[in-house]
Amino acid sequence: MQEKSVSKITNVLAEGAIGQKLIDMGFVHGQTITMVRNAPLKDPIEVKLLSYFVSIRRDEASMIEVEKDPQKHF
Amino acid sequence: MQKKIKIALAGQPNCGKSTIFNMLSGAKQHIANYPGVTVDKKTSYYSTEKFKIELIDLPGTYSLTSFSLEERVARDFIINENPDLILDVLDASNLKRNLYLTLQLIDIDRPIALILNMTDIAQKRGIKIDAQKLCDLIGVYVVSVVGSSGKGKDEINKTIIKAISYPKKPVETTYGELEPHIQSLTNKIKDTTKTDHPPRWMAIKLLENDNQTNNLLKDKTELIEEVTKIKNDFNKNGAVTIQHFIASKRYNKTQEIIDKCTTKTKTQKQTITDKIDHFVLNKWLAFPIMAFIIFSLYQLAIVYGYELTNYTWPFLAAFKNFVSGFLPEPNFHEVPYLRDFGIWIVNSINALLNYIPIFLILFALIAILEDVGYMPRMAFVLDRAFRYYGLHGQSTLPLVLGGVFAGGCAVPGVMSTKAIADPRARLATILTVPLMNCLAKIPFYTLIVTAFFVKTEQALVFFIISTITIFFAMSVAKVLTLTVLRNEETAPFVMELPPYHIPTIKGVLIRAIERVWMYIKKIMTIVIAVAVVLFVLIQFPGLNDETKMQFNKKANIALEKFYKITSTTKYAQDLDEKHEVVRVLNLYNTYKMLRMNIKDKEDLHALNAKMLQKYPKDFRFIKSKDKQAKKINRGLRKLSNTQKRLLRQMKNLKVENSLLGMSGRFLEPLTQFAGFDWKINIAFLSSFAARESSVATLGAIYEGGAKEDIKTHMSAFTSLHAIAIILFMALTPPCIATMIVIRYQTNSYLWMIFATFYPIVLGLIISSLVFTIGTAMSIDGLSALVGIYIVAIVITIMLGFIKNKPISLKGKT
Repeated sequence: MQEKSVSKITNVLAEGAIGQKLIDMGFVHGQTITMVRNAPLKDPIEVKLLSYFVSIRRDEASMIEVEKDPQKHF
Repeated sequence: MQKKIKIALAGQPNCGKSTIFNMLSGAKQHIANYPGVTVDKKTSYYSTEKFKIELIDLPGTYSLTSFSLEERVARDFIINENPDLILDVLDASNLKRNLYLTLQLIDIDRPIALILNMTDIAQKRGIKIDAQKLCDLIGVYVVSVVGSSGKGKDEINKTIIKAISYPKKPVETTYGELEPHIQSLTNKIKDTTKTDHPPRWMAIKLLENDNQTNNLLKDKTELIEEVTKIKNDFNKNGAVTIQHFIASKRYNKTQEIIDKCTTKTKTQKQTITDKIDHFVLNKWLAFPIMAFIIFSLYQLAIVYGYELTNYTWPFLAAFKNFVSGFLPEPNFHEVPYLRDFGIWIVNSINALLNYIPIFLILFALIAILEDVGYMPRMAFVLDRAFRYYGLHGQSTLPLVLGGVFAGGCAVPGVMSTKAIADPRARLATILTVPLMNCLAKIPFYTLIVTAFFVKTEQALVFFIISTITIFFAMSVAKVLTLTVLRNEETAPFVMELPPYHIPTIKGVLIRAIERVWMYIKKIMTIVIAVAVVLFVLIQFPGLNDETKMQFNKKANIALEKFYKITSTTKYAQDLDEKHEVVRVLNLYNTYKMLRMNIKDKEDLHALNAKMLQKYPKDFRFIKSKDKQAKKINRGLRKLSNTQKRLLRQMKNLKVENSLLGMSGRFLEPLTQFAGFDWKINIAFLSSFAARESSVATLGAIYEGGAKEDIKTHMSAFTSLHAIAIILFMALTPPCIATMIVIRYQTNSYLWMIFATFYPIVLGLIISSLVFTIGTAMSIDGLSALVGIYIVAIVITIMLGFIKNKPISLKGKT
């Protein structure tokens, strides 16, 4: 995902503790998320969803499948 | 008669829950831990017209699963303690995620009311919420407040009365095609089990595969089989798991509620938070800004705080004088045990109290950084660097407080590890913070470095010492993570970056004072206990008769000299017996001590007048214009100096013969490889009580305390010895205060003991290696230090490449 790009979550592959945590933070199927920025050391990343900001490590982010939303721009 | 009720305050992190708590409760708060865990439990008692309220602040949680400690604590409290009302605080500007928790709280089926907080921020963002509609939609009382401005206290209390007197029935969330299964499971649970847990909630939790609920019901095989069957069928049909399905249902419902009760007056533009983060999290600016913040924190708290201790120290000194006034007076060179003991205890207490100005500033600044919302940003910026070593972005602050460059303190360092979300990284941080350069290690370094290195080398030595510790800490953290901490619980890094807030003065002060008070309360008692033990170790068995005789002889010679002086004056009659001389000498010493704390001329006059009135006869010899009395005054000064010298010599001999001294000698065969003799061992052993005392002990053992003295007495030592000593000091175990904090933060004596002993072993190994190899290669201290520095860096870099045991991406099921 590129900075400032908007996408829609299509699938969250994680289960167990991580899966539940992602769900609880709002990473659910169909949710729109916006990539905000990379950390200065490139990892973690900051994304926006449900009108709040959250940082997430790339390892964990890699378990969230998204589909680019061509209509929306930040 | 007021009715006693129990209210639990729940809510997601960053919803302003603690502001509401402070607003309702005032400053009367009581902090303890939830039983068996290290999560803080804040309780407050207050009264309204109708009720005596016990208000409990639950930990802020996003959800109510059994995966994280805070969530377990929150829901166990709600289920087991059965509060009369749950007040759920919501951030109005972030309603969707906040309502997600509310729906789960409603599932637990306890009386509940909502506090809609931060409505001002929501309004600024163009979100208008109709509280009455929200109330109707969910079926609970809703009250709108702006916590940061302190508005809404009365409204909340009114809502509490309404909710208790006329309870409403909240609208349950329905879970679509799972609903028939939930109904059937609920009925089965009702029939087969007797628990405090609401059956419908248990049914939902079973479907969510909640560990705790699974364990509670594991004997009910029929029930478990049914759950497994439902899950299997569900998985066959759909693309998503049950977990996801249930969550989606909740999110859909929150969206429905929001659509019905909010109106958007304007579309969102860039918020202030966006604008600030544009700089604070910028690729190029993030590090300079963080460096600036850390530097300011250090400068304000440690440097200025230390200066502030110059003003507070006189109070502590006055306290010491006050106490010593009640203790039996010394009889020239014979000091009663009780006096020694009393002063020893007061010194131990004062050494810790001395840090309070520093802690107060530090804790206030940390509270500000927390409230502003900078902490998670700091973690965001540095997480990657730390993660390689088993630490966490949130380990930054504890390590900085422990003393990254020079002079921190492990106590606030360890206390601030509480924020770290990942339990394994948190333990690794707690165990390594004490390796940093604490404030009290600095005078010790200074003493040794200035004594053994020429001016041109000193800067380099200091630089290496103050930076080598972070490499040690990172390496140790990594090794611990790969070994003893391997199987500790870890957590995913999914961390909210909350909007920036302006902190309230009340909130900051409450937190700073609270933490200082905790330090005093928890540490003081234990430090006193340890001081007693150390006193015994140092005082006994004491001097043998022969040595005592020698000192008696020396004392008599000094007294004889004094008599000679007095005999030539007209006061000969007044001062020709020992008890008279001792009395005047004690007054002389007391007066000198009191004078030391006085800077004002007027105060001095007042003191003189008071003394003269109290001791009209004796004070003549201390302050007088009479020539003959002045002569006696000079004699007294000499006598006092002799007294001090004799006491010091006696003390040193006592320490050498004491149990502590014996252990110092006993350890010599082991420590000789590091180049330590028994005297150094004693200094290290006594530094355990409080680091400050290592310099004092070293000074006492080597007499004088001035560095020239130490150098001549350590003439057998080379700069290689010095480096070995410094390296060991850098790694020595945490002081008592730190140990106690570790005990409370880990909730385990085992970790406390581990944190105490691994640095001793590690320090001894490193010092021995450096000393032995350095001696064999006959290199000087500086080369050895540079050598170990390079080795430490190389090892640290290499360790960074080894992978940690990852959190299983599939998770525990």
